[in-house]
Amino acid sequence: MDALDDDARLMLLYRDGDGHAFAALYARHKDPLYRYLLRQVRNAGAAADLFQEVWSRLVATRGRYEPRAKFATYLFHIAHNCTIDFFRRNKHSTRSNTADVQSPEPEVPEYQRPDGMAEFVEQQSALLAALGELPQEQREAFLLHEETGLTIDDIARVTDVPVETAKSRLRYAIRKLKKSLLPAPLPDARPLRTRTI
Amino acid sequence: MDPHDDLDEYLRGNSALSRQYHREAATVTPHALDRRVLGAARGAQRRSPYLAPLAFAASVLLSVALVLAIAFGPQRIKRADSTPHVVRAAARVVVPAHVREPSVWLADIAALRRAGRSSDADAELLRFRSAYPNYRFTELGTATRVPVDSE
Repeated sequence: MDALDDDARLMLLYRDGDGHAFAALYARHKDPLYRYLLRQVRNAGAAADLFQEVWSRLVATRGRYEPRAKFATYLFHIAHNCTIDFFRRNKHSTRSNTADVQSPEPEVPEYQRPDGMAEFVEQQSALLAALGELPQEQREAFLLHEETGLTIDDIARVTDVPVETAKSRLRYAIRKLKKSLLPAPLPDARPLRTRTI
Repeated sequence: MDPHDDLDEYLRGNSALSRQYHREAATVTPHALDRRVLGAARGAQRRSPYLAPLAFAASVLLSVALVLAIAFGPQRIKRADSTPHVVRAAARVVVPAHVREPSVWLADIAALRRAGRSSDADAELLRFRSAYPNYRFTELGTATRVPVDSE
């Protein structure tokens, strides 16, 4: 890596014992990471557990940190591994709770939604529902790009797949999600019956 | 629409899809989680990662010191202590040859040999031989002997 990004510098400071550097890193990445985990596992409790696990792993392995790539790539690679472990652990229970999985995110509090914009809220829900219906790999590619701004190369690195695979996943994800943005077709207009007396 | 164009347009940024997603992306980390993670990080900070290798190195050094002490220190003392009293007395008191009986002297040499002090026994045997050059043994190194001449 030619020039260290700010986050990598902070991580090096933290590795060498600067606690304030960790607080700065945490503040920068906590929300994108939380949203990534929440939308991946679609369960607030599981997302909270995974969130703590990711940061714990980062803290535990800080002594071995070397800035070989962007810090976000490093952090989200840990998150990706934790998520994969979660899906493996919950393979059966996830299948049995399909009703929960298919429901739109209940974690977004009502007060965070704009008031008086019924159409907007409806459209948001459609996008989130479409996001939830994507295959997990496609959803992950989309979330990594949206939440962290990672490039396709970085997404491939985080998810341990070839670049072409990452590109293909993102392509399919946006194609399906774009469909959810289109207004629903109106029912066929029927001519009004006129009654002649 | 060609999906390749979709992707290129999307990657250029500021697509309708991204805008829509970020309008929705208001979910933030709960404060309780912030407290837990930052608290755990502070706790880990107190247990510095450099302490573990230091503790390991210290325990290795201590173990080596202990092994050396067991191998060389106390055993030497123990070995000296375990030497029969008669032998230690014989080693300390150098009795002139002309006042020591050959049988007593040979018994002391045999005791030295039994105690594992072969070099002392050999040295004593040399002194014995120089004192009693005509003394003959049935078997060299044993206390059994047959005197040829009477002194």
